[in-house]
Amino acid sequence: MQEKEHIIYVLKEAIQAIRTDNASKLQQLSDQTIHSASVYQDTDSISVAVTIYSISKVVSRKDSLKIGRWNSFVDKISSALGLAIDALEKGRVESFSSHLEKSVKLMSSFSNLKPYIQDVLRKAAINKASKLYEHGISLAQTAKLLGITRWELSEYVGQKTVNNNPYKTTISGKKRAEMALEFFA
Amino acid sequence: MKILILDSGPIINLSMNSLLYIFEKLKSKDMEIIITPSVKTEVVDYPLRIKRFELGALRAQQLIERGIICLPEKIGITAESLSQETKKVLSVINSTLKTDGEYIRIVSEAESSCLALSKILSDRKIENIIAIDERTTRTLFEKPENLESLMSKKLHRKVKIANNDFRKLGNFRFIRSPEIVFVAHKKNLTNLKGNRALEALLYATKYKGSSISDEEIKSIKKL
Repeated sequence: MQEKEHIIYVLKEAIQAIRTDNASKLQQLSDQTIHSASVYQDTDSISVAVTIYSISKVVSRKDSLKIGRWNSFVDKISSALGLAIDALEKGRVESFSSHLEKSVKLMSSFSNLKPYIQDVLRKAAINKASKLYEHGISLAQTAKLLGITRWELSEYVGQKTVNNNPYKTTISGKKRAEMALEFFA
Repeated sequence: MKILILDSGPIINLSMNSLLYIFEKLKSKDMEIIITPSVKTEVVDYPLRIKRFELGALRAQQLIERGIICLPEKIGITAESLSQETKKVLSVINSTLKTDGEYIRIVSEAESSCLALSKILSDRKIENIIAIDERTTRTLFEKPENLESLMSKKLHRKVKIANNDFRKLGNFRFIRSPEIVFVAHKKNLTNLKGNRALEALLYATKYKGSSISDEEIKSIKKL
């Protein structure tokens, strides 16, 4: 695994953010993981990004989701992430992945959350894929990394604003349209 | 003979906008529309297994069955030769941008296969153009320094073009879904008529994943 220290830092910060119901901090931490995921494209960095983003969604909708045993929820998720950190510090990568997976299962185990969590995880994967695309990784490559289809990714990316960012402009729209007219003439 | 090579994006885009019929109308005696096996996997084979995208995949499959969109064998390019060229292209592109001693894998097999097909066709002096909505592949060949800058900014670390072999792959030409609907509109091939039709068509492609800015849409409308 690449950038082990960074992942440990992110998970420790995430536990603090969960305990203080800080959903926006969790989203920032998830985005931070995407930087290294873009470079190394290791499944663990991507899993951390998706898991933390999913937790942020649950935290931000804590009241509307009416989770009866919130403190127990926080304790269990924090404990699973703590065990993941411990495994990573000891270099036990398989155990790390297993504890990370357990934290996702724990979210689903709160009976009223199960259908919601499935949806959150799928949306989290699409969100992280769009972030990877923003970072310069192609759409097909991001879809492959996140295990989603180009169909759902295309729709999501289409909702994002494409402005006249100088980095994103290669040749003018006029020139490309003229090239197309010439080709189909 | 000229060849329009389709990446997954424009097929998905036009399918979601119920505009797939445009491909049929654009196809002519001297032009074939080709997709690679990797693109077919992305737009047909894989989504056919997912209920949410089954209809779109079936629509695309029908275009293939009716011979509107063909596989490279139709123009005498074997799956094996394309696969070999794709591997070379993929390897070259994913060994281009580097940060912290690591090459960044920026593209996958589907996009690389479109470039590989274009390269094979160009080597055979067959005119071709690639229709691709996603930005990364286009930027690498049209303005690579932009990709370098964008990635450095987004990743908060210096990303450099460490290998220039990609420049030897060829001079690729790219269009997107908006240009396809623009041409169809100009040729009076779309079912939508009226003053606002072009704007509506262009924005529809933008909102289904084509990387195009409002300013570009304005400039295309003026043509």
